[in-house]
Amino acid sequence: MALRPVVVTGLGIVCAAGRDPAEFWRRLTAGQGGLTPIEDEAFAVFTARYAGRVPDAWIDDRLPQEDRGCDRTVRLALVAARQAVEQAGPAARGTGPGRAGGPDPERFGIILGKCQATPDAAGRYQPMHRTADVVAERLGARGPRILVSTACAAGGNAVGLARDKILTGEADAVLAGGVDPLLFGTYAGFAGLQALSTGPCRPYSRSDGLNLGEGAAFLLLEPLDLALARGATPLAEVAGYGLSADAYHATAPDPTGRGGASAVRRALADAGLTPADVHYVSGHGTGTPANDTMEAKVMRLVFGERAGRVPTSSIKSFVGHTLGAAGAVEAVASVLALQHGVAPPTIGFEDEPAATDLDFVPNAARPMAIDTIVSNNYAFGGNNVSLVLTRPRGPRPYDALPRRPAVITGLGPVTGVGAGIAEVAGAVVAGRGEPGRPPSLDGRTYAPRSLWRHMNHLSRMAIAASRLAWEDAGLKLPRKALEEVGLVFATAAGSAESTGGFDESIVLNPNKPAVLSFSNVVLNATGGAVCQTLGLRGPTTTICNGGASASIALDCALEMIRAGKAEVVLVVAADETTAPAPPPDPPDPPDPPVPYGRGAVAPVPGSAAVAFVVESAEHCAGRGGRAYAAVAGTAHTTGTGTEAVLRGLPEEPVAAAATGAATGAATGAGTAAATGESVAGAGAVELVLGAATGRPEDGEEAAAVLGCAPGALLTASAGLTGDCQAATGALNLVLAALALREQIAPALTGLTAPRAGTLDSYVTGPDLPAPVRRALALTAAHGSVRGAVLLEAV
Amino acid sequence: MASVLATEHPQDTAYGEVGDATVPLRFSSLAEEYRVLRDRAAVLDLGGHGLIQITGSGGVDFAQRVLARDVEYLTSDRCMMSLVLDESGQVVDQVLAFGREDGLLLESSCGAGARLLDHLLARVADDDVEITDRSGDLTVIGLEGPYAWGVVGRLIDAELASLPFESVVDTAWDDVEIVFARTGLTGEYGYQMIVPVESAAALWRRSLEHAQAAGTEALELAMLEVRQPVPRHEVTPGASVIEIGANWLVDITKDDFVGKDAVVEAFEAGGGRRTIGFTGGSGVPARGTRVQAAGQDVGEVVYAVHSVGLDATLGLARVTGDLAAAGLELSVGGLPVTTLTSPYIVPKSWSIPII
Repeated sequence: MALRPVVVTGLGIVCAAGRDPAEFWRRLTAGQGGLTPIEDEAFAVFTARYAGRVPDAWIDDRLPQEDRGCDRTVRLALVAARQAVEQAGPAARGTGPGRAGGPDPERFGIILGKCQATPDAAGRYQPMHRTADVVAERLGARGPRILVSTACAAGGNAVGLARDKILTGEADAVLAGGVDPLLFGTYAGFAGLQALSTGPCRPYSRSDGLNLGEGAAFLLLEPLDLALARGATPLAEVAGYGLSADAYHATAPDPTGRGGASAVRRALADAGLTPADVHYVSGHGTGTPANDTMEAKVMRLVFGERAGRVPTSSIKSFVGHTLGAAGAVEAVASVLALQHGVAPPTIGFEDEPAATDLDFVPNAARPMAIDTIVSNNYAFGGNNVSLVLTRPRGPRPYDALPRRPAVITGLGPVTGVGAGIAEVAGAVVAGRGEPGRPPSLDGRTYAPRSLWRHMNHLSRMAIAASRLAWEDAGLKLPRKALEEVGLVFATAAGSAESTGGFDESIVLNPNKPAVLSFSNVVLNATGGAVCQTLGLRGPTTTICNGGASASIALDCALEMIRAGKAEVVLVVAADETTAPAPPPDPPDPPDPPVPYGRGAVAPVPGSAAVAFVVESAEHCAGRGGRAYAAVAGTAHTTGTGTEAVLRGLPEEPVAAAATGAATGAATGAGTAAATGESVAGAGAVELVLGAATGRPEDGEEAAAVLGCAPGALLTASAGLTGDCQAATGALNLVLAALALREQIAPALTGLTAPRAGTLDSYVTGPDLPAPVRRALALTAAHGSVRGAVLLEAV
Repeated sequence: MASVLATEHPQDTAYGEVGDATVPLRFSSLAEEYRVLRDRAAVLDLGGHGLIQITGSGGVDFAQRVLARDVEYLTSDRCMMSLVLDESGQVVDQVLAFGREDGLLLESSCGAGARLLDHLLARVADDDVEITDRSGDLTVIGLEGPYAWGVVGRLIDAELASLPFESVVDTAWDDVEIVFARTGLTGEYGYQMIVPVESAAALWRRSLEHAQAAGTEALELAMLEVRQPVPRHEVTPGASVIEIGANWLVDITKDDFVGKDAVVEAFEAGGGRRTIGFTGGSGVPARGTRVQAAGQDVGEVVYAVHSVGLDATLGLARVTGDLAAAGLELSVGGLPVTTLTSPYIVPKSWSIPII
């Protein structure tokens, strides 16, 4: 099956080895690295001082005045993003607000990879997705918006997800890339792990440690047909990509190279190519012994006897490890290598003592015929990504991405009102809410004790949720099948416990960081822990779009199923608050804010993890599984209200599993064109689990729902648990699925004066007055992305 | 029970009775086989290790109850070592537990298969647990040594050589389905292959094309040198898990397991004896030889051998707790010895990477 060709038409980069693609390429081919001792005196406490810093002038001289007040992460990203848009040509430039000639801004997306949370001026962490929001706003991109945080694999992961958004038809152009600045705390963490080289790093030869770097890189992706139609010049094709989970360790790569090899093989399969087609490999090449040894094994595993004849090199020898940007930096280098027919070298390479059978392109760029490149990245949490980039080919017939019905077959909520769907259903029936109460995991260990006792609370909650969902689905898969089970982790902020613990340790003594906490600071760490515990090695990624993360994660799962990359995907969302839990039995408890209630002004922050199993309907039927619901459609919009996302739902939802007909999963994102008063997708629902958490914005959502889905009853899971960010979105989804099977829904206990409509429009008792066949779950990252998931009974 | 590989062994192989098994103690000489194991790669006939399968819907719960470590989530790509205790906390056996799709497979220590089987069968109370002795149709071949990984690459698949410790893969060798595990008993790179008995001879012969055979004596010596417990030598009547020094093979955070109460009681009581390595003296003292400190009787020898690696006597003594420390001068049978910290030799594998 040949899918729609997706090409790169614009590149942008700013890193230690160049402030734009032309300078970057000149320095790569001249062997001129950018690793220097850090001059900032704050770093003098560390023995290792080399890093790939970007001079301030390279950033601010390239930005318009209005961008210069942004934080460094945003400024780095804007420099690179604007370059990519500029190179892509007039049509792409026309995507900004008020400009004509470009793609519909609603179909111009941004997928950003980022590893580190960005502190604001006061030192508090901004929402992870904030960087993507600002860049999108400045560039007028109002299409699909995803913040992917698979640590050091995020940049490459972003390019793959961008391709998915074009293949699903949700976007006509997507800026894909990554960004991370050099942060003191991260530097201290790597120093504490003894992972830093005291000099410029020497990947694949001395391998005595890495250098950190900073930067941003973007690629503008478009469908080949649209790019040619507007006269753009394709620079390369994104032919495929592959994801995998090591399921081995929080920080160390699987020493066998199995995980890395699996990602390459999946990427080549996605591209319809074989190892024999690959001419050059852009390696991860951090310079640590564990990474470099593992990568050599990946080369030998994938290419066999040909391994020594496939040149592979490390761009990090020039720019250091730019973390979330690394995959995008290396993808930009790979596109340039294809364009120029030159393999960039690994500089600082020492021939001795590392005699090797592999070709690391030592020290000098090598002109050679290159048609196909594999670019690899490996990350903390055991996340691996491989991209396949090829020289652009001409227009050709292609097939649409298959529409494969998907169902939800297992539910695993871990909340303050119970662990497991039976306990939570019991709380729903009893009308018992516990906003802000953290889940109790007493009474059961959900992982081998040797792992469990070292885990932070977020990982424990997520593992418990995942195992409960898995058990609820009744899945009994053999080892071989588990190798292909996907996992998408959704979180707004990751582990507050580990982040806080690590930050405190740095304040006390930057040379004695809490290294165990550091390994869990990356947002994908919890997803990695789930994979390790359940032995899942299929495609995996981590989505960090605040309260909308879970529905975006569902989209990713559906895309994996549609593309045939997985039959079963576990979606798990988890977030936690550091706010103190309410006392168990206060004498005179205040009434908690009720979602949609007129008096609610601020939600009760909560902690929860919620998992659900997504399966192809075919797989579920084949094993005799019982689904809760079919996924009839999803929609996401950015920067707009609830009505837009409701209008983005498919107009003719069809119960996928019931009919066997294809409905498609991710549909309509950003296509909320007004179609009069008829909003068929949302209009057909009987129940809506809204994203309200008890804030003034709830009124707008309620009004939009009641307007677009007249007759539907509205409720929200936050009344049970408080605002658990990504987990609240997932809980809406889970409770919508539960309602379709059990005909129960959480009542908004205490709701007397709703912000919109009358009490008749809300769920005020657990038993639903009329049968529910279609239910809608909403998610929201306020000021950023809103999501809607339409479920149907099966 | 004789080894299924007995017909493959040299005619002058020295056999010995170990529990219920007849095992090859030496194929040539202890010193030569020891050097092979410590310097290159040794092939081990582990046919004396019984194989017992636990299946049925209640199999995992049963295993969790009878094994002293946590096997609730032991997936089919993992294995782990655990003690099996009786209700009084006495060691029944030390097993390697393999997670399997349909339950677990237990590999007993040398010669202890029949005793383990009896112990398990006596504790099966429900119909949902099935215990099957697989020792008649499966056997175990081991590879151990600093270059054992190279043998794996030449014999089966280089990808398997660098498996993480205690990882298990179901794979094929010469079209025969085998269970392959990264294990290790001697501090060197170690692997085990569980193979159908009818294919064992062919795999043994093929292994010998890349490595040399080592017998039980060399294996147990190398195990002692890194303080890997050898139950048949170290488990003495009445000795608690703590006295034996096998605490790491027990997990008292588990909700329950057979023998837990006794182990917890011993933990809480404190006191008692502890096991410590020693070297010195002359000759090899017999089990039970008294150990003295400053003229006071403080314990006894558990067992001792002549270590080829140290070229000296190496033994374990069980002494009063406060003397179980390295660097003390004690006397064994009236001759001076020095207590040691383990490992007593540094395995070569610790400085040789798998490439």
